[in-house]
This record gives sequence, structure tokens and C-alpha cells, in this order.
Amino acid sequence: MFGRSGKKGNYAYTVARVKAKKSTLMKEDAYSKMLMMSLPEISRFISESGYQKEITELTGKYVGVDLIEHATYTNMARLFRGILESSEGELKDMIAADLERWDIWNLKVILRGRSYGLSSDEIKEDLVPAGSLDVAHLDKLMSFETDDEVISAYAKMEEIVFPQEVLAEYRETRNLAVIEDFLDKVHFENLLVSVVPNSRPKRLFQDFIRNEIDITNLETILKLKKEGISGDDVMNYYIPGGKQIDKKLATQLANAESISAMANDLAQLDFYEDIKEALDDTNSLRDIVAALTKYHSDQARTFSHLYPLSVIPIVDFMIHKENEVNNIRIIARGIESGLDKEIIKGLLVV
Amino acid sequence: MAAEAGLIAVGAGLAIGLTGLGAGLAEKDVGAAAVGAITEDVSLFGKAMVLMVLPETIVIFGLVVAILSVFMLGM
Repeated sequence: MFGRSGKKGNYAYTVARVKAKKSTLMKEDAYSKMLMMSLPEISRFISESGYQKEITELTGKYVGVDLIEHATYTNMARLFRGILESSEGELKDMIAADLERWDIWNLKVILRGRSYGLSSDEIKEDLVPAGSLDVAHLDKLMSFETDDEVISAYAKMEEIVFPQEVLAEYRETRNLAVIEDFLDKVHFENLLVSVVPNSRPKRLFQDFIRNEIDITNLETILKLKKEGISGDDVMNYYIPGGKQIDKKLATQLANAESISAMANDLAQLDFYEDIKEALDDTNSLRDIVAALTKYHSDQARTFSHLYPLSVIPIVDFMIHKENEVNNIRIIARGIESGLDKEIIKGLLVV
Repeated sequence: MAAEAGLIAVGAGLAIGLTGLGAGLAEKDVGAAAVGAITEDVSLFGKAMVLMVLPETIVIFGLVVAILSVFMLGM
């Protein structure tokens, strides 16, 4: 009853800060305005909408779309780190476990960038130092000569152990997906373990993570099926722990002839109604993924209203912030490459 | 009579003490949230201050009960 911050976590303080930050996120009409702007105008517009510090800092170094991309990712990383630093106790543990996804993201960016022969500066454009690895750690990772050194240094920094068979397969095939898939599985495992389900909000958060695993699995299955990859190979990338898509259902989906043939199996999922339109109308993967992302962020918003003093409003904010940053980047890239405004609009998650 | 007076005095003390504890518990989260909100946006200070002192009203109720009890003691 008298528990203050300490071990339990400073929910009231952190959630109040996050709610205040959420009120500064861009609204739908801001994206419509940005679609009508040129790149310099977008830079100026976002600098008036919460990205001023980053735009000012990076203006001398980058221009155009590079400036927007750097500024948005830097801003997001700072915000997420700020939230992590202001939280305490079990709340901090849960946020840290959730933010581990950005460490994995960064390792993927570094390894993929190196495999395409990109320079450190080019790789840096896509790094988001929001997790436990800060810029210094990431610079150190990029300074290694070989990918094997990068992977072993990452394992040491994150205190994880890569199984020998994963490393052996990677060394043999040089297929980065092996490493990435293992890290994704470990991330979701750690995230589920970090939530002790001793209260309703925490049980709800666990369900939320399980739903995210389902969405990730479904996206993977759809993407690989679209590429015509066999069911058995698809199942190699299956992440256990989902709420609705168990191994049996995942196998059925992975072995389906086409995306349309999956409809019957997908109909039993809670979020079928939300992606039905995208499935029926176009069968376009882009639309389905956008529908799934929207479902996920809507769910976070609903849960955050149910339990204001829990980790869910914080995760809700982080999802919406990530959507905002992705939307800005999509608009900037789309405008730079002269993409049709309607297509860009279709890619946004609002 | 002395025992009755003693019990009334204890009641008055409890009225103040327990409502003080209640207000403290309520203010714990309100205060933390108020400081969090002000950290992000200083213009929220006024609203946060009002919300912060709202739980104090519980103590006023306790104080009224305690005063009434003490008056009973005097009668």
C-alpha cells in the first residue's frame, strides 16, 4: 500500500511524462500538409513540431532527406532513452526489455550495411541508439574488421550466448537471417520473462506481447509465401510464444497454396476483421502489413486507456512515436523519389 | 465520564490521523504525476497544483469531525 518507486516502479511519474510527450505527436492533418511540401519545407515543418534540437544540430552536416532521416531517428532514440532513464524498478526492467529491439535493429543494420559494402557514415543513418547500446558501443561495433568479431562483441555487450549451431550455420552459409532470427526469438523470450504476470495490467501487457509475436509471425509467413518459399523453410523463422498463432496454425498457414488460400485459417484470428479488407481488396502485402501495424497500435491505445498506471501507456507512446517517425521518413523518401502522393498516403500508418 | 472524554479525544485524533494518511497516499501518485507533467511542460504548473491539493480536502473533513468531537467534549 505504501510502496513508493523503488522496486515497484515509478508509474505515475513516468506515465505523466509520457502522456505529456504524446500530446506533442503529430496529428493526421500534419501528414496531409507535409505531402504538399518540398524537402526543405518538411525539414522546417518538423523542426517546429518537436524536432528542432536535432534539425539545428544536424543542419550543417546533412541536407535534404538525409537530414530528415538523421533528425527523426536521433530524436526518437533520445526520447526512448529519456523514458528509460526516468523510470525505476520493475517498470525500468520492462521498458529496457522492450527497447532491446533497437539493439537488435542496430546489429542488423550494421551487419546488413557491411554486407552491402556501405561506409560507417552510411550505416549510421539508420542506427537508432535507443536500447542499452549507446553511440559509443555502436561505433565500437562498426570498427571491427570482420562480421564474426561484430557478432561476438555484440554477444559480450548484451550478455547473450549464440548457440554453436547458429554460428556454424551462419559461418557456412553467410546468411544473416540465421543470426537475425535467433536474436528476434531471444528478444521476445526476454520480453515475456521481464513481465511478471502478478496483476491484470501486466497480464494484459503479456497478451499484448504475445499478439505482437503473432503479428510478426504472420508478416514473416506472408512475406516468405509471396516470395514462393516452401512451408518448411518458412517455419524456420517461426517465433514461439504467440497468443493465437501456435505452431500448428503457423504450419497450416505456411503450407497454404497462396495468400487467398489462407483466408479460412486466418478467419479464426481476433484481428481478422481488421486485416480482412486488405486481404480481400488487393491481396497486397503492403496493405496487409499496414493494416496489421494499425491494429497493433490501436490495441496499444485501447489498453493504455484501460490501465493508465501501467507500462502499457508507455509502450503505446513508443509505438505511436515510431509510427510518426516512419511516416515522416516515408513522406520524405516518397517525395524525394517523386512517388505519387496517393501511394505515399497509402503507406502511412495514421 | 473521564473514560468517555478520553474516547472522544482518541476519536478526534483518529479522524485527523487517518484522513492525513489517506491524503498522503492519494498525493503520492498525484504528486509524482504532477512533477512528471511539469517536467515536460512548465505551463501545466497551475493545473498540477490544483490537482495536487485536491486530496487535502479529505483532511479538512477529518479536521471538521475532530473539532465537532472536541466541542462535544466541552459540552
